Amino acid sequence: MLELRNVTKVFNPGTPNEVRAIEGVDLTLEEGAFVAIIGTNGSGKSTLLNAVAGTFLVDSGTISLDGTDITRWPEHRRASLMGRVFQDPFTGTSPNLTIAENLVLAAQRGLPRRLGWALNRKAKDEIRARVQQLNMGLEHLIDNPIGSLSGGQRQALTLLMATWLKPRLLLLDEHTAALDPKSADQVIALTDAVVTRDRLTTLMVTHSMHQAANLGDQLIMMHRGRIIQEFRGAEKRRTRVDDLLARFEEVRRADQLDETAAEMLERTYV
Amino acid sequence: MSLLIGALTIGFILSLLALGVFISFRIFSFPDITADGSSTLGAAVAAAMIVNGVNPVVATAAGFAAGFVAGAVTGTLATKFKINGLLSGILVMTGLYSVNLHIMGRSNVPLLGEKTLTTYAQAIGTTVLGGRTSLNVMGWEVSTLDASVLGLTFVAIALTGVLLYAFFQTHLGTAMRATGDNSRMIRALGVNDGNMIVLGLAVSNGLVALSGAFLAQYQGFADVQMGIGMVVWGLASVIIGEALVGTRQLGFIICGAVMGSILFRLLVAIALRLGLNPNDLKLITAVFVFLALILPSLMRKFRSRRVRLSHA
Repeated sequence: MLELRNVTKVFNPGTPNEVRAIEGVDLTLEEGAFVAIIGTNGSGKSTLLNAVAGTFLVDSGTISLDGTDITRWPEHRRASLMGRVFQDPFTGTSPNLTIAENLVLAAQRGLPRRLGWALNRKAKDEIRARVQQLNMGLEHLIDNPIGSLSGGQRQALTLLMATWLKPRLLLLDEHTAALDPKSADQVIALTDAVVTRDRLTTLMVTHSMHQAANLGDQLIMMHRGRIIQEFRGAEKRRTRVDDLLARFEEVRRADQLDETAAEMLERTYV
Repeated sequence: MSLLIGALTIGFILSLLALGVFISFRIFSFPDITADGSSTLGAAVAAAMIVNGVNPVVATAAGFAAGFVAGAVTGTLATKFKINGLLSGILVMTGLYSVNLHIMGRSNVPLLGEKTLTTYAQAIGTTVLGGRTSLNVMGWEVSTLDASVLGLTFVAIALTGVLLYAFFQTHLGTAMRATGDNSRMIRALGVNDGNMIVLGLAVSNGLVALSGAFLAQYQGFADVQMGIGMVVWGLASVIIGEALVGTRQLGFIICGAVMGSILFRLLVAIALRLGLNPNDLKLITAVFVFLALILPSLMRKFRSRRVRLSHA
């Protein structure tokens, strides 16, 4: 359903700050798959997610969703197919608009914005009902500006916004990284519930080995802009946090070896 | 009394300008100084058409449309061509100076003796009052002309305010407010934020041009210089309005911008009456806006210092 072929992105090409963020990534997501991506800092995992979301256009390769080539589609056009939750709780919601106004914007994701009333009684009742399902007591605050809420509450609402209209693809970009542990657990539980209920095809970048090991049915490890390992099916189910840590340790050692080896070669030959 | 009524009328007319500035500066955080040019543009288009015998209602609407287009051009420069917002406004404003001269054919077009909205208002007022040329308001003699122009302006501004408020409650209007508030979020929800900015600036400059068209007909002439300093003037009105009613509710802010515009005009009228040199007006307005912009942070600093001292 989602297919990435040989996708490459270089930031600041030709300058001293050149970063080869993703290099020749191939990735296929089946319908209904829940894929977690982990990786070290700067491994390109968030860049990969943003490439799919269309935050920038990739340098080469193709991205297609449901057989449609969306490689050159701008971000707002892809949004008709995708729901997104960001790492920063401030990114996913509009602080000066009320909870109800934010949600009604999400209820029109990918649809043309016309001159009909945004919030009629029916819309508000539906919003109240769906906000109540979050079990956060926010249903009484839907006319308050969203900026007055905590990070956890905002992320829960962003998740509700991303999935209000069932997206073809749900993109989660380290969406619990900025939260305290309790809120993070709450948001993860909500994520699991909505993904299972609506059978959403999901791509989740995470910093947490724990989440990566326990959530989803497919796991991808990235390093230096490449996918270095993929765990699927039974193998994924067997994978524990310790296995992931061990694999990362391996990668780190290999890196160190590379660098010292390079240094040695340099000393010898340059 | 006629000074007070005059100040009120101009205050109402310029509140359209304040509403336009509110849209660009506050909703989109876009420092749009196209308004200096589009204010004159509205006046120029309306005046040129009226002189050529066009119905003043049509001429005023055309003024609005011209401003709408000017704003759309600024928005397009800023979003499609990625030119810095301030510079986009400067480019369009500069270009409009020549456009305005072409439209008017000279630097000043008098409207005395023409059929304008002012003469319409007077005709309506005279009919309503049964042919009297003046009326008595709490002991003051007020000419029918002044009273009916004020009344008509009030109706026009109230109508615009209500329409604007309603617009910002629609799907489109909500998406626009969200664009200024958090553009990444609104893109992720499938809205082309660039188009929202273009449309928003178009509406903003349409209102500014409308105010220019009204002003020309009220004062009886359009002048190529009349738009200078309008952005700062509108900003001052918005700031006063925010101080008066706060920024929590959109409806309040819209009312506040109108109130701020009237209050500011009244203050200016009083200051001029007390002997202020009209040449100093723009400087004083600029200093006022400067103070209003830095005052909140100065107050915070002052307060935190006091807290520290009281703890020491």
